[in-house]
Parts: sequence; structure tokens; C-alpha cells
Amino acid sequence: MATRGRSGFCRSLPELELLLLAILVLLNGTVLSLESASSSEIHTGEGNNTSKKPFPVIGIVYDEVSIPFEISLWVLLASLMKLGFHLIPRLSNVVPESCLLISVGLLVGGILKLARDEVPPVLSDRIFFLCLLPPIILDAGYFLPIRPFVENIGTILMFAVVGTLWNAFFVGGLIYGVCQLAQDTYSEINLGNIGILPCLLFGSIISAVDPVAVLAVFEEIHINELLHILVFGESLLNDAVTVVLYHLFEEFMESGSVSAVDAILGLVSFLIVALGGVLVGAFYGILAAFTSRFTSHTRVIEPLFVFLYSYMAYLSAEVFHLSGIMSLIACGAVMRPYVEANISHKSHTTIKYFLKMWSSVSETLIFIFLGVATVDGEHHWDWIFITATLILCLVARVIGVVGLTFVINNFRIVKLTTKDQFIIAYGGLRGAIAFSLGFLLHTDHKKIFLTAIITVIFFTVFVQGMTIKPLVELLAVKKKHEAKRSINEEIHTRFLDHLLTGIEDICGHYGHHHWKNKLNRFNKKYVKKILIAGDRCKEPQLIAFYHKLEMKHAIRMVESGGGSKLNSSFPSTVSMQNIQPKIQSPPSARPAERALPQLTKGREEEIRQILRTNLQRTRQRLQSYNRHTLVVDPDEEGLDDLILKKRRMMELDWKIKEMTNYLTVPHAQGSPTMSRTRMASDSQAYVKPGAKGVPSIQIDLASPQSPDSVRLLDEVGQDQGLTMSLPSSSSRAYKTGGKDDDRDQQKLLRCLSDPGPSADEDEDEPIPT
Amino acid sequence: SVSAAHLLRLHQRFQLLDKDSSGSLRSEDLEAALSENPIGVRIVGAFFQLGQEMVDFPSFVRILAHFRPTEKNRTGDGVQPDPGTQMKCPSSVAFQLYDRDRDGKISRTELLQVLREMLGLQVTEEQLQSIAERAIQEANLDRDDTICFDEFRKSLEKVNINHKLSVRFLE
Repeated sequence: MATRGRSGFCRSLPELELLLLAILVLLNGTVLSLESASSSEIHTGEGNNTSKKPFPVIGIVYDEVSIPFEISLWVLLASLMKLGFHLIPRLSNVVPESCLLISVGLLVGGILKLARDEVPPVLSDRIFFLCLLPPIILDAGYFLPIRPFVENIGTILMFAVVGTLWNAFFVGGLIYGVCQLAQDTYSEINLGNIGILPCLLFGSIISAVDPVAVLAVFEEIHINELLHILVFGESLLNDAVTVVLYHLFEEFMESGSVSAVDAILGLVSFLIVALGGVLVGAFYGILAAFTSRFTSHTRVIEPLFVFLYSYMAYLSAEVFHLSGIMSLIACGAVMRPYVEANISHKSHTTIKYFLKMWSSVSETLIFIFLGVATVDGEHHWDWIFITATLILCLVARVIGVVGLTFVINNFRIVKLTTKDQFIIAYGGLRGAIAFSLGFLLHTDHKKIFLTAIITVIFFTVFVQGMTIKPLVELLAVKKKHEAKRSINEEIHTRFLDHLLTGIEDICGHYGHHHWKNKLNRFNKKYVKKILIAGDRCKEPQLIAFYHKLEMKHAIRMVESGGGSKLNSSFPSTVSMQNIQPKIQSPPSARPAERALPQLTKGREEEIRQILRTNLQRTRQRLQSYNRHTLVVDPDEEGLDDLILKKRRMMELDWKIKEMTNYLTVPHAQGSPTMSRTRMASDSQAYVKPGAKGVPSIQIDLASPQSPDSVRLLDEVGQDQGLTMSLPSSSSRAYKTGGKDDDRDQQKLLRCLSDPGPSADEDEDEPIPT
Repeated sequence: SVSAAHLLRLHQRFQLLDKDSSGSLRSEDLEAALSENPIGVRIVGAFFQLGQEMVDFPSFVRILAHFRPTEKNRTGDGVQPDPGTQMKCPSSVAFQLYDRDRDGKISRTELLQVLREMLGLQVTEEQLQSIAERAIQEANLDRDDTICFDEFRKSLEKVNINHKLSVRFLE
């Protein structure tokens, strides 16, 4: 993104943002106060319906639209905030977004309180659990990197279950002890009155690591995959534990007594909650996959199925008091491989964008509401209780992580180092889930509990969230690799899988490769046939991955103008022209004759030399996926520009050759992926083949019988740049003539110029077997 | 080395595989165990280096010992492959499985063979070709159209080889 042009502009923008924010908040405040005014007016108005009033030309009827209006205002506020933060790069580098958002929430809450002396109860538990939380979890679940998750599942479960239990009992028990020690019968709230059960309940609420907060903070620090999946997986899976403990202790508190039977029932209930949630999710996932098999004629509503089934999974789990989060994750993870094989490329893009959008807005809203609700709530600040809670939480987390790692390392091949343990412990952030659960409490001591919860949340988000980035730098923790997944990795990973399965077979050892292999085979034989439409069920993983990779690569190159003029504004004009539908525009109207500026022969050689060495680096300069940026622009500066474009153009025609091959080969042999994308697009291609006077790269279209060959003819013959052309002779049986070639090529480029998201690691991750 | 209990188990397994109780395995015995594996023949070939017909128990164990979980963490295998020593690092084991003619490089044909074995009859020849081509393009740094060992290792930086090439059974 060119920031050069905005340096002068930048100075005025933050002020603009603040102004907008102020306007909005005032608007919100006045609107809300108007609402109360107008509602009172109506009451008085009904009293004198006898006297005739003049016809009201303009009136304010706010009641009817008040709720959607307010919701939209809040969402708008959140989005503008997001915009604002990224315009001030210095701030967003130092402070994580979650902190800023909570501050904004505090501000807004404060303003509203001053304006109306009352703050709307925005973070009601229903809104939170039913509307705000599901998008985030679905986003996380759908794009969950399955392979690292499953590889580390043992560790994750240990941390989630045992770790959370340990935290809950440690904090709950010790806080009870502290309360007993610190009791003071003369103070307003006697700490000694807090029984053991409320304390344990409190402990269970506060001990859960929160996925929203973890996501928000870890997203920005780009830590290596292992740690990320460990902390994140733990935060997701501990929902089951939290749900069970919460209900358990609540029940106990109401019934007043605990027996051994109850404890055992609690254990059983935990298993039911966790497994039940997963089963419900898997069930809906399979349904969604099955439905997507038949959507080839109604592509437009495909994303809707994904969202609806997932949401239904969540709600169904909540109905039975099962873990909604686990159900959502299971649904997303189960349906993804099959759905992605069935839906069109555009639907996939839509799903992705929608999920990211919703989860982004949701997260922003949650943090803002957290701020607002803090201002609103009734608080009781008790120094002893709160500091004790804070210290105990930290201590419990550290001890828990260290202890568990000690045990787990005996079973892991890749051990967790001290640095890792530190990051895992430090990354245990609490968030809005804890707050909402606290909100739901019915005990007498709700105020003090809520205050403590909020303090802990603020502490973890602000202090830990802000300092984790410098600490990661300081400790030189391994960061995420920026490179995208390459075909090599894919091939080698599969090769190694087969190799290890073989070794295990030789040893007669039924290790996890063996079972994985069995699962794959079952999957391929039965499940895929049912859930994936058409020919795709037979397509091996590697091929699917390869196609995806190729297509993305081709799209990217076509977008950035393979082989065309070098002005840096070019990419935008290319995509603009792609969108406008033109049927047969005359060649002069097309952007550029696809001629590169004059290159001398020696220069070309030089360039090719540099390309070879630079290509590896170029690939690794691509940005990794990040929630805030969905599109990656390749770096293009000066000479690299020229080099890259030339290289891309060369690669592009290579791709064209292949794609065209797939398109022109009769359907039985063609790849279904290509035909699907061909049907699903409507933008315009722009390559004009066969320009005269420029050296051409002769492309020999491969026939199924002969090995393919690309002959780079005459590159050095003329010095006028390159373009590509299809060979004019069309003596092959399956081609219908040169004209069709052109049209096919155009069709191909049309479907390739979908300006979809690129450089996305999640997408690249092949559906694992 | 491998512990005593594991040695015992391996020995039992060896005897189980050795159908004719001759005290050494032939390739058919091993292939029978790997019948479903697409690269089974290749793996078996690794056991029978130097053109032997049979493999006895010590060599059996020695080869399997390559797949022991090692002490090295995620810091990557900094060990340089030394053709002279017995113990090779895991990635060179994998490399040798690709590189059947032992010339130190994976050529296009070798890669094609591997792909053909793994993907079977489900793909067309051009798809295989293009995958192989792309793989070589990506990994190839020295313009020689083959993948040498360093390039191989580099392209696998992200994949944690030590982790992958460990069978816990052999601890």
C-alpha cells in the first residue's frame, strides 16, 4: 500500500477521525435522549386527542427504528474506530488494538453517562453469547489449521482441561482462604461471608483463557505456529470445562450441599458436554457438506448454508447446555474440506470475507462494550480481594503451565522450552467471556466479583497485551515463517507421511501415522464419495492443492499485469478493466499491447540472471496472513518491477498454456476445477494474442499423448519485449481452430481475473489428510 | 542406541516377517507388509542397499534406528550430511529415498517417479509434469534443473523434519 502519497494527508486524518468520533458519540447521546423524550411525548399526546392538531408535516417517530438504529450506530462507531487506529501507525504498533478499543469504550461510556446519567445495557449476556461470540468462533474454527492442531491435541487438551481445573480450584480455594483471613465484620461487605462455593464459582469464571482476547493479541505478534496453536487451542477447548464448572457450582450453590455423587456426576457431565458439543457440531458439519454437494446450480446462496448450519450447530448445542464453542469449531473443521471441494471459488471468497468481516466487527464491538459496561456497572472496590485475585491468577497460571509442561514433555517429541512456557503462561489472557459469565451471576457478592473480574481482564489485556510484543522480541522467540506453503512442502510432507506409515507397518507398531492412514483411506473410500459432488471426489489432495496454488498464482499475475506497461498505477487499471464487461472490444481499446519497453539483449540476460536469484527472495517477501489485511500487494520498486513483471509474464504464459490445455481438452479429461471456475465468472479478459513485431514465445500446447514442451523461441531475436501467442497451426484433433483458441484463452483469463484474496496462508493450507 | 525392550520387540517382529525362518529377510517379505503403501517398494529398497538380497537383523535394526526420535528440538538439523558415517540425519534419509540412483541430486525424472507412485492413475501425465516442473522451479536455486540436498533441506525448513521422521516406537 503506497503510503508515500499520504504523508501530507495523514496529519489531518487523525483529527478528522476524532472529529467524526465526537460527532458520532454526540449523535448517539442525543438520539438516545431524544428517544426518552419522544416516548414521554407520546404519553402526554394521548391525553388530548379531542383537540384537532394541524397536519404534521415533519415529525420524529424514533421508537419504531430505535433498536436497529442504535445497533447500526454502534457498529458504525466500531468500524470507524478500526479505521482510525490504522491511520495512526505509530499507535497501533505500540498498543494492541484491544486496549485501544476498551479505552474507546470507556470514553463512550463515560460520555453517555454524563449525557444521560445512564448507560444502555449493551453487554447483556444474550447479545454477547448469541450475536457477538459466534462469528469470532466460527471464523477461528473454519480456518483452524488442522494439522498442527491435531498434532498437538494431547498437549492442548492437557492445558485446557487439567490447566483450567487447576486454575479454578487454586484460585477459588485460596481466595476463600484470603477472605477468611481478611474478614472484617465492620466493613460494608464482609469478606468472610463469601462461602467456599461462591469462591469456587468465581475461580472457575476467572480461570478460563479467553479466545477473543488471545486472538486479538496474538494476531499482531506473529508468533510461531506451535505456540499460537497451543494457546489458541487451549482457549477454545477450555470452554467445555468452564461451562461444566460454572453450571456445577451454580447448582451446588442453589442446592446448598455437595456430595460425592454430585462430584462424579460433574465429571460425567464434563464428558457429555465436551463430546456432545463436538458431535453436534460434526453432525451439522456433515449436513452442510452434504448440502453443498447439490448447490452447483445455485451458487449464490452457497455461503449462506455454511453460515446457517454453523449457527444452528451453536444454538443447538446451547439448547442442551453443551459447549457451543466446541460445537462451532467441530462444525467448521468438519465441513471445510468437503465444502471447499464443492463450492465455487467466488463462494469461497465470499465466505472468507464475510467471516473475517463479522468476526472483526464482533471483536471490536465486544471490546468497546466491555469498556462501556465497566463504566456502567455497580462496583465495589476492595483492595484485598482484588489484589489477591490478581496475584493468585498469575501465580496459578505460571505454576499450572510449568507443572503441566513438565509432565507433557515426557510424551512430546518436540519439547517445550522455558521460553515457550513463558509465552504460554503470559499469553493466558482473560476477556469478555469471563465478564459475561460474571454478569450472569445471581449471588449476593456479584458486585465485588464483577469488579475483580473486570480488573483482571483489564490487567491482562492492557499490561500483558501491551508488553507481550516487546517480550517476544526480547526473548527472540521464533516467529511465524512468512513464506507461503509451496508445492515442494506439500509433496515432501506427503512423501514423509507415506514413509513413516511404511516404517510403522514394518515395525508392526500401530502409531498415529497408521491410524491417520486408516482414517484417510476410509475418508477417500466412503466419505468423499458421499459428500463431494461429481468427479472431484476422486481428485487426490495433492492435485487439488496444486490447482489452487496455480490458480492463485495466475490470478495474481494477471492482476498485476503480466507483461504490460510498467507504470506503478497499472495494477489498478488492470483490475478496473477486468470488471467492465466488454464483448469484443477492438484491440486498440485494450490496455497496452502487452509490449514491454525496449530491452537490449544483454539486459535481458542480466535480468534473467537476477530473476533466478531473486525469485526465492521474492516469494518470501510476501506478507503472511493477517486479519487486518486481506490483499497483499507484491513489492514493486524500480528494477524489481521490471524483473518481476517480466518473470511473471513468462510464468503467466506457461500457466496459460496449461490452463488452456485443460480448457480445450474434452470434458472427460479436463479438470473439473477449471470448468467450474469458467462458468462462475463474468469479467473480461484482455490478452490479445498474436501481436506482430514483437518477439513471441511459442507455446506448444501439449496433447495428452506427447510430453509437453515449451520452446522459448527468439527471445533474443528481437529487442522489443515479449508477448505471447498461441501457435497458429492447429492441427490437433481436439482443438477446433485458432479462433476458439483465442476465445478460450480469453475465457480463461476472464475467470482468472477474479480479484479475490491472495497471499492467504489459510487458503493455502491444504485440507489435511 | 535402541533400548533392550525395543530390541526384543523388533526381533519378534523380524521373526514374524521372516516367513521362511531363514534368519534374514528378503524383499518380498517386507513388501508384503507394505502392500498398500504407494511408496512401499521404494522404502523396501532403502533396506537393501548395496545390492544385497537379504537383510539380517543387525542391519534391519540399524536402518530403523534412523527413525529414532532424536534429542534435537525445533532448532533444525544443523548436522551436515556426511556420507561416511553410519548415522545420517533424517532429511538425508528422506533425500536418499527420492534419489534412487544416488547421484546426490533429485532429477526431474526421479521426482516424476515419486509423484507417479504417490498419485497413481488418478492424474494425467501433464499434471504430473507440471507439478514436477513447478516443484523444481520453486526449489531450484542453482539453475541446474535438479534439486540437490541443500535445496531440498531449504524447501523443508518449514516442515519440522526431526519431528516428522520419528517413530516413537523406536525410542
